[in-house]
Amino acid sequence: MTKKPIKFVLNGREVQAFVSPDDSVVDLLRELDHFGARESCGQGLCGCCTVLIDGVSVTGCLELALLLDGKRINTVEGLDADGQLSAVQQAFIDTGAFQCGFCTPGFILMIEQLLDENPDPTDDEARDYLSGNLCRCAAYPEILSAVRNAAMKRKTAQGADA
Amino acid sequence: MSFELISPNTLRDALDLLDVDDPSIRPFSGGTALRLMMKSGVFSPSKLVVLRGIPDLSGIEISDDGSLTIGALSTLAEVETSALVARQVPVLAGALKHLSNRRVRNVARIGGAIAHGDPHMDLPPLLSALNAEVIVESRNGRRHIAVEDLVIGYYETLLEPDELIVALRIPAQDDWHSAYRKVTARSADDWPALGVATSISHEGKEIRDIRLVVGAATERPTRLDISEGVLRSEGVAGLPRAVEAAMESVEVMDDSHGSATWKKALLGVELRRSVEEILGRNA
Ligand SMILES: Cc1cc2nc3c(=O)[nH]c(=O)nc-3n(C[C@H](O)[C@H](O)[C@H](O)COP(=O)(O)OP(=O)(O)OC[C@H]3O[C@@H](n4cnc5c(N)ncnc54)[C@H](O)[C@@H]3O)c2cc1C
Ligand code: FES
Ligand code: FES
Repeated sequence: MTKKPIKFVLNGREVQAFVSPDDSVVDLLRELDHFGARESCGQGLCGCCTVLIDGVSVTGCLELALLLDGKRINTVEGLDADGQLSAVQQAFIDTGAFQCGFCTPGFILMIEQLLDENPDPTDDEARDYLSGNLCRCAAYPEILSAVRNAAMKRKTAQGADA
Repeated sequence: MSFELISPNTLRDALDLLDVDDPSIRPFSGGTALRLMMKSGVFSPSKLVVLRGIPDLSGIEISDDGSLTIGALSTLAEVETSALVARQVPVLAGALKHLSNRRVRNVARIGGAIAHGDPHMDLPPLLSALNAEVIVESRNGRRHIAVEDLVIGYYETLLEPDELIVALRIPAQDDWHSAYRKVTARSADDWPALGVATSISHEGKEIRDIRLVVGAATERPTRLDISEGVLRSEGVAGLPRAVEAAMESVEVMDDSHGSATWKKALLGVELRRSVEEILGRNA
Protein backbone atom coordinates (compact mmCIF):
# COMPACT_ATOMS: atom_id res chain seq x y z
CA MET A 1 0.00 0.00 0.00
CA THR A 2 1.34 3.40 -0.92
CA LYS A 3 2.46 5.47 2.01
CA LYS A 4 2.33 9.23 1.92
CA PRO A 5 4.55 11.73 3.70
CA ILE A 6 2.95 14.06 6.24
CA LYS A 7 4.30 16.77 8.54
CA PHE A 8 2.84 17.76 11.86
CA VAL A 9 3.77 19.07 15.29
CA LEU A 10 3.81 16.43 18.03
CA ASN A 11 3.94 17.85 21.54
CA GLY A 12 5.65 20.98 20.21
CA ARG A 13 8.19 19.15 18.05
CA GLU A 14 8.01 19.04 14.24
CA VAL A 15 7.71 15.51 12.92
CA GLN A 16 7.65 13.91 9.49
CA ALA A 17 6.20 10.48 8.89
CA PHE A 18 5.08 8.15 6.13
CA VAL A 19 1.58 6.81 6.65
CA SER A 20 -0.81 4.41 4.93
CA PRO A 21 -4.31 5.64 4.14
CA ASP A 22 -5.94 3.39 6.74
CA ASP A 23 -3.49 4.07 9.58
CA SER A 24 -5.23 5.59 12.58
CA VAL A 25 -3.67 8.28 14.72
CA VAL A 26 -2.98 5.64 17.40
CA ASP A 27 -1.20 3.40 14.84
CA LEU A 28 1.03 6.29 13.86
CA LEU A 29 1.81 7.34 17.44
CA ARG A 30 2.93 3.80 18.28
CA GLU A 31 5.34 3.88 15.35
CA LEU A 32 6.71 7.09 16.84
CA ASP A 33 7.17 5.36 20.22
CA HIS A 34 4.31 7.23 21.85
CA PHE A 35 2.27 4.70 23.83
CA GLY A 36 0.09 6.96 25.99
CA ALA A 37 -2.84 6.87 23.58
CA ARG A 38 -3.83 3.24 23.25
CA GLU A 39 -6.56 1.41 21.43
CA SER A 40 -8.99 -0.56 23.56
CA CYS A 41 -12.55 -0.66 22.18
CA GLY A 42 -11.54 0.72 18.80
CA GLN A 43 -15.06 2.14 18.39
CA GLY A 44 -15.08 5.60 19.92
CA LEU A 45 -16.64 4.46 23.19
CA CYS A 46 -13.90 4.20 25.83
CA GLY A 47 -11.57 7.19 25.38
CA CYS A 48 -8.30 5.28 25.98
CA CYS A 49 -7.07 6.63 22.63
CA THR A 50 -7.79 10.32 23.39
CA VAL A 51 -5.44 12.89 21.83
CA LEU A 52 -5.76 16.64 21.29
CA ILE A 53 -5.64 17.83 17.68
CA ASP A 54 -5.35 21.60 17.26
CA GLY A 55 -6.41 21.87 20.89
CA VAL A 56 -9.57 19.74 20.63
CA SER A 57 -10.07 16.24 22.04
CA VAL A 58 -10.37 13.60 19.35
CA THR A 59 -10.81 9.82 19.24
CA GLY A 60 -7.41 8.57 18.07
CA CYS A 61 -8.60 5.10 17.10
CA LEU A 62 -11.04 6.54 14.55
CA GLU A 63 -9.20 9.59 13.22
CA LEU A 64 -7.09 8.89 10.11
CA ALA A 65 -3.38 9.61 10.50
CA LEU A 66 -3.18 11.22 7.05
CA LEU A 67 -5.48 13.97 8.31
CA LEU A 68 -2.81 15.06 10.81
CA ASP A 69 -0.89 16.72 7.99
CA GLY A 70 -0.23 20.34 8.99
CA LYS A 71 -1.82 19.96 12.43
CA ARG A 72 -0.74 20.20 16.03
CA ILE A 73 -1.20 17.06 18.11
CA ASN A 74 -0.76 16.77 21.85
CA THR A 75 -0.60 13.56 23.84
CA VAL A 76 -0.19 12.75 27.50
CA GLU A 77 3.59 12.48 26.96
CA GLY A 78 3.78 16.24 26.44
CA LEU A 79 2.08 17.29 29.67
CA ASP A 80 5.22 17.29 31.80
CA ALA A 81 7.44 18.84 29.10
CA ASP A 82 8.78 21.40 31.55
CA GLY A 83 9.84 18.62 33.93
CA GLN A 84 6.81 19.06 36.15
CA LEU A 85 3.61 17.04 36.17
CA SER A 86 0.50 19.03 35.23
CA ALA A 87 -2.03 19.81 37.96
CA VAL A 88 -4.31 17.08 36.65
CA GLN A 89 -1.52 14.49 36.60
CA GLN A 90 -0.49 15.37 40.14
CA ALA A 91 -4.14 15.24 41.24
CA PHE A 92 -4.44 11.67 39.93
CA ILE A 93 -1.49 10.64 42.10
CA ASP A 94 -2.70 12.55 45.15
CA THR A 95 -6.20 11.03 44.99
CA GLY A 96 -5.15 7.56 43.77
CA ALA A 97 -7.41 7.86 40.74
CA PHE A 98 -6.27 4.67 39.01
CA GLN A 99 -5.52 1.03 39.51
CA CYS A 100 -4.09 -0.49 36.33
CA GLY A 101 -3.70 2.91 34.67
CA PHE A 102 -4.79 1.82 31.21
CA CYS A 103 -7.53 4.46 30.97
CA THR A 104 -5.55 7.19 32.75
CA PRO A 105 -3.97 9.11 29.83
CA GLY A 106 -7.39 9.47 28.20
CA PHE A 107 -9.04 10.68 31.39
CA ILE A 108 -6.21 13.12 32.07
CA LEU A 109 -6.39 14.72 28.62
CA MET A 110 -10.19 15.00 28.83
CA ILE A 111 -9.97 16.60 32.28
CA GLU A 112 -7.37 19.10 31.03
CA GLN A 113 -9.94 20.11 28.39
CA LEU A 114 -12.82 20.15 30.84
CA LEU A 115 -10.96 22.49 33.20
CA ASP A 116 -9.85 24.75 30.34
CA GLU A 117 -13.52 25.18 29.37
CA ASN A 118 -15.00 25.12 32.84
CA PRO A 119 -12.50 25.79 35.67
CA ASP A 120 -14.96 24.88 38.41
CA PRO A 121 -17.19 22.03 37.21
CA THR A 122 -19.81 20.41 39.41
CA ASP A 123 -19.60 16.63 39.79
CA ASP A 124 -22.52 16.27 37.38
CA GLU A 125 -20.85 18.45 34.77
CA ALA A 126 -17.68 16.39 35.13
CA ARG A 127 -19.61 13.12 34.84
CA ASP A 128 -21.30 14.40 31.70
CA TYR A 129 -18.06 15.55 30.14
CA LEU A 130 -16.29 12.29 30.94
CA SER A 131 -19.14 9.99 29.94
CA GLY A 132 -17.13 8.78 26.94
CA ASN A 133 -14.25 7.55 29.09
CA LEU A 134 -14.50 4.09 30.59
CA CYS A 135 -12.45 2.69 33.46
CA ARG A 136 -12.58 -1.08 33.78
CA CYS A 137 -11.10 -0.84 37.27
CA ALA A 138 -14.01 1.45 38.18
CA ALA A 139 -11.92 4.17 39.78
CA TYR A 140 -14.75 6.60 39.03
CA PRO A 141 -15.20 8.04 42.55
CA GLU A 142 -11.46 8.74 42.80
CA ILE A 143 -11.43 10.22 39.28
CA LEU A 144 -14.13 12.68 40.36
CA SER A 145 -12.02 13.57 43.41
CA ALA A 146 -9.10 14.11 41.05
CA VAL A 147 -11.20 16.58 39.02
CA ARG A 148 -12.02 18.57 42.17
CA ASN A 149 -8.44 18.36 43.38
CA ALA A 150 -7.00 19.46 40.02
CA ALA A 151 -9.45 22.37 39.80
CA MET A 152 -8.21 23.53 43.20
CA LYS A 153 -4.54 23.09 42.26
CA ARG A 154 -5.06 25.11 39.08
CA LYS A 155 -6.76 27.91 41.02
CA THR A 156 -3.99 28.03 43.61
CA ALA A 157 -1.35 28.12 40.86
CA GLN A 158 -3.18 30.98 39.17
CA GLY A 159 -3.39 32.84 42.44
CA ALA A 160 0.37 32.40 42.89
CA ASP A 161 1.02 33.68 39.35
CA ALA A 162 -1.13 36.76 39.79
CA MET B 1 -7.46 -2.01 2.47
CA SER B 2 -6.24 0.48 -0.09
CA PHE B 3 -8.02 3.66 -0.90
CA GLU B 4 -7.27 7.20 -1.87
CA LEU B 5 -7.91 10.12 0.45
CA ILE B 6 -8.49 13.42 -1.33
CA SER B 7 -9.04 16.78 0.34
CA PRO B 8 -10.56 19.29 -2.10
CA ASN B 9 -10.63 22.96 -1.10
CA THR B 10 -13.84 23.98 -2.84
CA LEU B 11 -17.35 22.59 -3.05
CA ARG B 12 -17.08 22.50 -6.85
CA ASP B 13 -13.95 20.32 -6.69
CA ALA B 14 -15.59 18.01 -4.18
CA LEU B 15 -18.67 17.60 -6.37
CA ASP B 16 -16.46 16.90 -9.38
CA LEU B 17 -14.80 14.04 -7.51
CA LEU B 18 -18.09 12.26 -6.75
CA ASP B 19 -19.65 9.86 -9.23
CA VAL B 20 -23.35 9.03 -9.41
CA ASP B 21 -22.53 5.48 -10.59
CA ASP B 22 -19.83 4.69 -8.04
CA PRO B 23 -20.88 4.43 -4.38
CA SER B 24 -17.34 3.32 -3.41
CA ILE B 25 -16.34 6.98 -3.74
CA ARG B 26 -17.72 8.54 -0.56
CA PRO B 27 -17.88 11.96 1.00
CA PHE B 28 -16.08 11.95 4.36
CA SER B 29 -16.86 14.69 6.88
CA GLY B 30 -16.14 13.70 10.49
CA GLY B 31 -15.58 10.13 9.39
CA THR B 32 -16.80 8.75 12.72
CA ALA B 33 -19.51 6.63 11.10
CA LEU B 34 -17.49 5.71 8.02
CA ARG B 35 -14.50 4.64 10.10
CA LEU B 36 -16.65 2.28 12.17
CA MET B 37 -17.94 0.74 8.93
CA MET B 38 -14.44 0.48 7.49
CA LYS B 39 -12.99 -1.05 10.64
CA SER B 40 -15.73 -3.67 10.83
CA GLY B 41 -15.26 -4.48 7.16
CA VAL B 42 -18.78 -3.59 5.98
CA PHE B 43 -17.48 -0.78 3.77
CA SER B 44 -14.31 -0.58 1.63
CA PRO B 45 -13.99 2.73 -0.14
CA SER B 46 -12.02 3.27 -3.33
CA LYS B 47 -11.84 7.00 -2.65
CA LEU B 48 -12.73 9.20 0.30
CA VAL B 49 -13.48 12.81 -0.51
CA VAL B 50 -12.64 14.71 2.68
CA LEU B 51 -14.96 17.72 3.02
CA ARG B 52 -13.24 19.33 6.02
CA GLY B 53 -11.18 21.80 3.97
CA ILE B 54 -14.19 23.39 2.25
CA PRO B 55 -14.64 26.80 3.88
CA ASP B 56 -18.18 27.75 2.81
CA LEU B 57 -19.91 24.76 4.42
CA SER B 58 -19.70 25.82 8.05
CA GLY B 59 -21.30 28.47 10.23
CA ILE B 60 -24.70 28.89 11.86
CA GLU B 61 -26.89 31.79 10.74
CA ILE B 62 -30.34 33.15 11.45
CA SER B 63 -32.53 34.68 8.71
CA ASP B 64 -35.07 37.49 9.01
CA ASP B 65 -37.89 34.94 9.10
CA GLY B 66 -36.30 33.35 12.19
CA SER B 67 -35.12 30.20 10.43
CA LEU B 68 -31.68 28.79 11.20
CA THR B 69 -29.24 27.66 8.55
CA ILE B 70 -26.51 25.34 9.79
CA GLY B 71 -23.61 24.59 7.43
CA ALA B 72 -23.20 20.85 6.83
CA LEU B 73 -19.64 20.87 8.18
CA SER B 74 -20.55 22.36 11.57
CA THR B 75 -19.44 19.88 14.20
CA LEU B 76 -22.07 18.49 16.56
CA ALA B 77 -20.18 20.24 19.40
CA GLU B 78 -20.48 23.59 17.58
CA VAL B 79 -24.23 23.13 17.20
CA GLU B 80 -24.56 21.94 20.82
CA THR B 81 -22.81 25.05 22.19
CA SER B 82 -24.19 27.65 19.75
CA ALA B 83 -26.05 30.51 21.45
CA LEU B 84 -28.34 30.83 18.41
CA VAL B 85 -29.31 27.17 18.59
CA ALA B 86 -29.89 27.42 22.34
CA ARG B 87 -32.26 30.33 21.77
CA GLN B 88 -34.11 29.15 18.64
CA VAL B 89 -34.23 25.36 19.09
CA PRO B 90 -33.19 24.47 22.65
CA VAL B 91 -34.48 20.94 22.14
CA LEU B 92 -31.67 20.34 19.62
CA ALA B 93 -28.93 21.57 21.96
CA GLY B 94 -30.39 19.33 24.69
CA ALA B 95 -30.50 16.25 22.46
CA LEU B 96 -26.90 16.75 21.36
CA LYS B 97 -25.69 16.66 24.98
CA HIS B 98 -26.61 12.99 25.10
CA LEU B 99 -25.62 12.07 21.55
CA SER B 100 -22.45 10.02 21.94
CA ASN B 101 -19.53 11.58 23.81
CA ARG B 102 -17.72 14.90 23.63
CA ARG B 103 -14.85 13.60 21.48
CA VAL B 104 -17.17 12.19 18.84
CA ARG B 105 -19.20 15.41 18.88
CA ASN B 106 -15.97 17.39 18.38
CA VAL B 107 -15.40 15.56 15.11
CA ALA B 108 -18.77 14.39 13.72
CA ARG B 109 -20.48 16.89 11.42
CA ILE B 110 -24.18 17.69 11.21
CA GLY B 111 -24.22 16.71 7.50
CA GLY B 112 -22.80 13.28 8.31
CA ALA B 113 -25.24 12.79 11.17
CA ILE B 114 -28.15 13.36 8.78
CA ALA B 115 -26.76 11.52 5.71
CA HIS B 116 -25.65 8.35 7.48
CA GLY B 117 -29.07 6.64 7.41
CA ASP B 118 -28.45 4.32 10.36
CA PRO B 119 -31.88 3.84 11.96
CA HIS B 120 -30.31 4.29 15.42
CA MET B 121 -29.71 8.00 15.13
CA ASP B 122 -31.09 10.75 17.32
CA LEU B 123 -31.18 13.64 14.88
CA PRO B 124 -33.31 12.44 11.94
CA PRO B 125 -36.47 11.92 14.04
CA LEU B 126 -35.93 15.14 15.99
CA LEU B 127 -35.22 17.23 12.87
CA SER B 128 -38.29 15.69 11.21
CA ALA B 129 -40.47 16.78 14.12
CA LEU B 130 -38.95 20.27 13.79
CA ASN B 131 -39.97 20.28 10.11
CA ALA B 132 -36.36 20.84 9.03
CA GLU B 133 -34.99 20.37 5.53
CA VAL B 134 -31.58 19.81 4.00
CA ILE B 135 -30.15 21.72 1.08
CA VAL B 136 -28.46 19.31 -1.27
CA GLU B 137 -26.11 20.06 -4.13
CA SER B 138 -24.64 18.17 -7.07
CA ARG B 139 -23.01 19.28 -10.34
CA ASN B 140 -26.56 19.46 -11.73
CA GLY B 141 -27.80 21.99 -9.20
CA ARG B 142 -29.52 22.29 -5.84
CA ARG B 143 -32.57 20.74 -4.30
CA HIS B 144 -34.29 20.87 -0.92
CA ILE B 145 -35.35 17.66 0.83
CA ALA B 146 -37.43 17.52 4.00
CA VAL B 147 -35.49 15.55 6.62
CA GLU B 148 -38.69 13.56 7.11
CA ASP B 149 -38.44 12.26 3.52
CA LEU B 150 -34.67 11.78 3.45
CA VAL B 151 -34.28 8.38 5.09
CA ILE B 152 -36.24 5.87 3.05
CA GLY B 153 -35.05 2.60 4.56
CA TYR B 154 -32.38 0.79 6.53
CA TYR B 155 -29.19 2.80 5.73
CA GLU B 156 -30.99 4.09 2.64
CA THR B 157 -31.50 7.76 1.85
CA LEU B 158 -32.74 9.82 -1.09
CA LEU B 159 -29.22 11.18 -1.59
CA GLU B 160 -27.52 10.17 -4.83
CA PRO B 161 -23.82 9.18 -4.62
CA ASP B 162 -22.88 12.45 -6.37
CA GLU B 163 -24.88 14.69 -4.02
CA LEU B 164 -23.74 16.53 -0.92
CA ILE B 165 -25.75 18.01 1.89
CA VAL B 166 -24.52 21.60 2.05
CA ALA B 167 -26.75 22.89 4.83
CA LEU B 168 -29.56 22.14 7.24
CA ARG B 169 -32.46 24.59 7.53
CA ILE B 170 -34.65 24.64 10.63
CA PRO B 171 -37.72 26.88 10.26
CA ALA B 172 -38.72 29.34 12.97
CA GLN B 173 -40.61 27.37 15.59
CA ASP B 174 -43.02 30.23 16.51
CA ASP B 175 -45.69 28.67 18.70
CA TRP B 176 -44.40 25.13 18.28
CA HIS B 177 -42.85 23.50 21.32
CA SER B 178 -40.81 20.34 21.22
CA ALA B 179 -39.39 17.50 23.25
CA TYR B 180 -37.03 14.67 22.44
CA ARG B 181 -37.11 11.65 24.70
CA LYS B 182 -34.22 9.24 24.31
CA VAL B 183 -34.20 5.84 25.97
CA THR B 184 -30.89 4.01 26.28
CA ALA B 185 -30.14 0.54 27.56
CA ARG B 186 -26.66 1.22 28.95
CA SER B 187 -25.19 4.71 29.56
CA ALA B 188 -27.19 7.95 29.18
CA ASP B 189 -25.29 8.89 26.01
CA ASP B 190 -25.48 5.47 24.37
CA TRP B 191 -27.07 4.92 20.98
CA PRO B 192 -30.82 5.19 21.48
CA ALA B 193 -32.93 2.06 21.96
CA LEU B 194 -35.85 4.37 21.27
CA GLY B 195 -36.18 8.05 20.39
CA VAL B 196 -39.49 9.90 20.45
CA ALA B 197 -39.58 13.41 18.98
CA THR B 198 -42.67 15.52 19.55
CA SER B 199 -43.56 19.03 18.37
CA ILE B 200 -46.84 20.64 19.34
CA SER B 201 -48.41 23.91 18.30
CA HIS B 202 -50.77 24.73 21.13
CA GLU B 203 -52.45 27.36 23.25
CA GLY B 204 -52.61 26.29 26.86
CA LYS B 205 -53.85 22.71 26.78
CA GLU B 206 -55.48 23.13 23.39
CA ILE B 207 -53.57 21.29 20.65
CA ARG B 208 -53.68 23.07 17.30
CA ASP B 209 -51.26 20.85 15.42
CA ILE B 210 -48.77 18.12 16.25
CA ARG B 211 -45.86 16.21 14.73
CA LEU B 212 -44.81 12.88 16.26
CA VAL B 213 -41.81 10.91 15.03
CA VAL B 214 -40.33 7.70 16.41
CA GLY B 215 -36.75 6.60 15.74
CA ALA B 216 -34.33 3.79 16.66
CA ALA B 217 -37.11 1.24 17.25
CA THR B 218 -38.18 1.20 13.62
CA GLU B 219 -36.44 0.50 10.31
CA ARG B 220 -36.39 4.23 9.62
CA PRO B 221 -37.69 7.32 11.44
CA THR B 222 -41.45 7.01 11.29
CA ARG B 223 -44.20 9.59 11.58
CA LEU B 224 -47.05 8.52 13.89
CA ASP B 225 -49.84 9.88 11.69
CA ILE B 226 -52.72 7.99 13.27
CA SER B 227 -51.82 9.22 16.75
CA GLU B 228 -51.35 12.74 15.39
CA GLY B 229 -54.87 12.59 13.85
CA VAL B 230 -56.39 11.48 17.15
CA LEU B 231 -54.71 14.31 19.08
CA ARG B 232 -55.63 16.89 16.46
CA SER B 233 -59.31 15.98 16.57
CA GLU B 234 -59.74 14.98 20.22
CA GLY B 235 -57.11 17.12 21.92
CA VAL B 236 -55.31 15.97 25.02
CA ALA B 237 -58.35 13.90 26.08
CA GLY B 238 -57.43 11.59 23.19
CA LEU B 239 -53.99 10.86 24.61
CA PRO B 240 -54.73 7.30 25.78
CA ARG B 241 -56.17 6.49 22.35
CA ALA B 242 -53.22 8.11 20.59
CA VAL B 243 -50.80 6.04 22.68
CA GLU B 244 -52.71 2.87 21.88
CA ALA B 245 -52.75 3.71 18.17
CA ALA B 246 -48.98 4.28 18.15
CA MET B 247 -48.29 0.95 19.80
CA GLU B 248 -50.61 -0.86 17.37
CA SER B 249 -49.61 0.84 14.13
CA VAL B 250 -45.82 0.99 14.31
CA GLU B 251 -43.66 -1.94 13.27
CA VAL B 252 -41.08 -2.14 16.04
CA MET B 253 -37.88 -4.15 15.59
CA ASP B 254 -35.68 -6.13 17.99
CA ASP B 255 -32.02 -5.21 18.14
CA SER B 256 -29.04 -5.37 20.49
CA HIS B 257 -30.51 -2.46 22.49
CA GLY B 258 -33.71 -4.30 23.39
CA SER B 259 -36.62 -6.49 22.34
CA ALA B 260 -39.50 -5.24 20.22
CA THR B 261 -41.94 -5.94 23.07
CA TRP B 262 -39.93 -3.78 25.46
CA LYS B 263 -39.50 -0.99 22.92
CA LYS B 264 -43.21 -1.02 22.08
CA ALA B 265 -44.15 -0.66 25.74
CA LEU B 266 -41.66 2.19 26.07
CA LEU B 267 -43.00 3.91 22.97
CA GLY B 268 -46.39 4.17 24.67
CA VAL B 269 -44.90 5.51 27.89
CA GLU B 270 -42.55 8.01 26.24
CA LEU B 271 -45.19 9.30 23.84
CA ARG B 272 -47.54 10.04 26.74
CA ARG B 273 -44.75 11.64 28.75
CA SER B 274 -43.57 13.83 25.90
CA VAL B 275 -47.04 15.26 25.21
CA GLU B 276 -47.59 15.84 28.94
CA GLU B 277 -44.12 17.37 29.26
CA ILE B 278 -44.69 19.92 26.49
CA LEU B 279 -48.21 20.90 27.55
CA GLY B 280 -47.17 21.04 31.22
CA ARG B 281 -44.01 23.02 30.51
CA ASN B 282 -45.77 25.73 28.52
CA ALA B 283 -49.10 25.74 30.37
C1 LIG C 1 -18.88 5.99 19.88
C2 LIG C 1 -20.03 6.50 19.05
C3 LIG C 1 -21.27 6.67 19.63
C4 LIG C 1 -22.34 7.17 18.91
N1 LIG C 1 -23.54 7.38 19.53
C5 LIG C 1 -24.55 7.95 18.84
C6 LIG C 1 -25.78 8.28 19.47
O1 LIG C 1 -25.98 8.08 20.66
N2 LIG C 1 -26.77 8.84 18.73
C7 LIG C 1 -26.58 9.13 17.39
O2 LIG C 1 -27.48 9.68 16.78
N3 LIG C 1 -25.43 8.83 16.78
C8 LIG C 1 -24.43 8.25 17.46
N4 LIG C 1 -23.26 7.98 16.82
C9 LIG C 1 -23.16 8.19 15.38
C10 LIG C 1 -22.69 9.58 15.05
O3 LIG C 1 -23.76 10.47 15.26
C11 LIG C 1 -22.26 9.55 13.61
O4 LIG C 1 -21.13 8.74 13.50
C12 LIG C 1 -21.90 10.94 13.11
O5 LIG C 1 -22.93 11.86 13.32
C13 LIG C 1 -21.59 10.91 11.63
O6 LIG C 1 -21.05 12.16 11.27
P1 LIG C 1 -19.66 12.22 10.53
O7 LIG C 1 -19.45 13.63 10.13
O8 LIG C 1 -18.60 11.60 11.35
O9 LIG C 1 -20.01 11.34 9.27
P2 LIG C 1 -19.09 10.49 8.29
O10 LIG C 1 -18.63 9.25 8.94
O11 LIG C 1 -18.08 11.37 7.65
O12 LIG C 1 -20.18 10.15 7.19
C14 LIG C 1 -21.35 9.40 7.48
C15 LIG C 1 -22.12 9.16 6.18
O13 LIG C 1 -22.60 10.37 5.64
C16 LIG C 1 -22.02 10.65 4.38
N5 LIG C 1 -21.75 12.09 4.40
C17 LIG C 1 -20.98 12.79 5.29
N6 LIG C 1 -21.10 14.10 5.08
C18 LIG C 1 -21.94 14.26 4.05
C19 LIG C 1 -22.48 15.40 3.36
N7 LIG C 1 -22.18 16.65 3.72
N8 LIG C 1 -23.33 15.18 2.33
C20 LIG C 1 -23.67 13.93 1.97
N9 LIG C 1 -23.21 12.83 2.58
C21 LIG C 1 -22.37 12.99 3.61
C22 LIG C 1 -20.81 9.76 4.29
O14 LIG C 1 -20.49 9.44 2.96
C23 LIG C 1 -21.29 8.55 5.07
O15 LIG C 1 -22.13 7.77 4.28
C24 LIG C 1 -22.16 7.48 17.54
C25 LIG C 1 -20.91 7.30 16.94
C26 LIG C 1 -19.84 6.82 17.67
C27 LIG C 1 -18.51 6.65 16.99
S1 FES D 1 -10.05 2.82 21.72
FE1 FES D 1 -10.69 4.64 20.82
S2 FES D 1 -12.43 5.08 21.97
FE2 FES D 1 -11.92 3.13 22.72
S1 FES E 1 -7.46 2.32 36.11
FE1 FES E 1 -7.69 0.42 35.12
S2 FES E 1 -9.03 0.91 33.54
FE2 FES E 1 -9.05 2.68 34.67
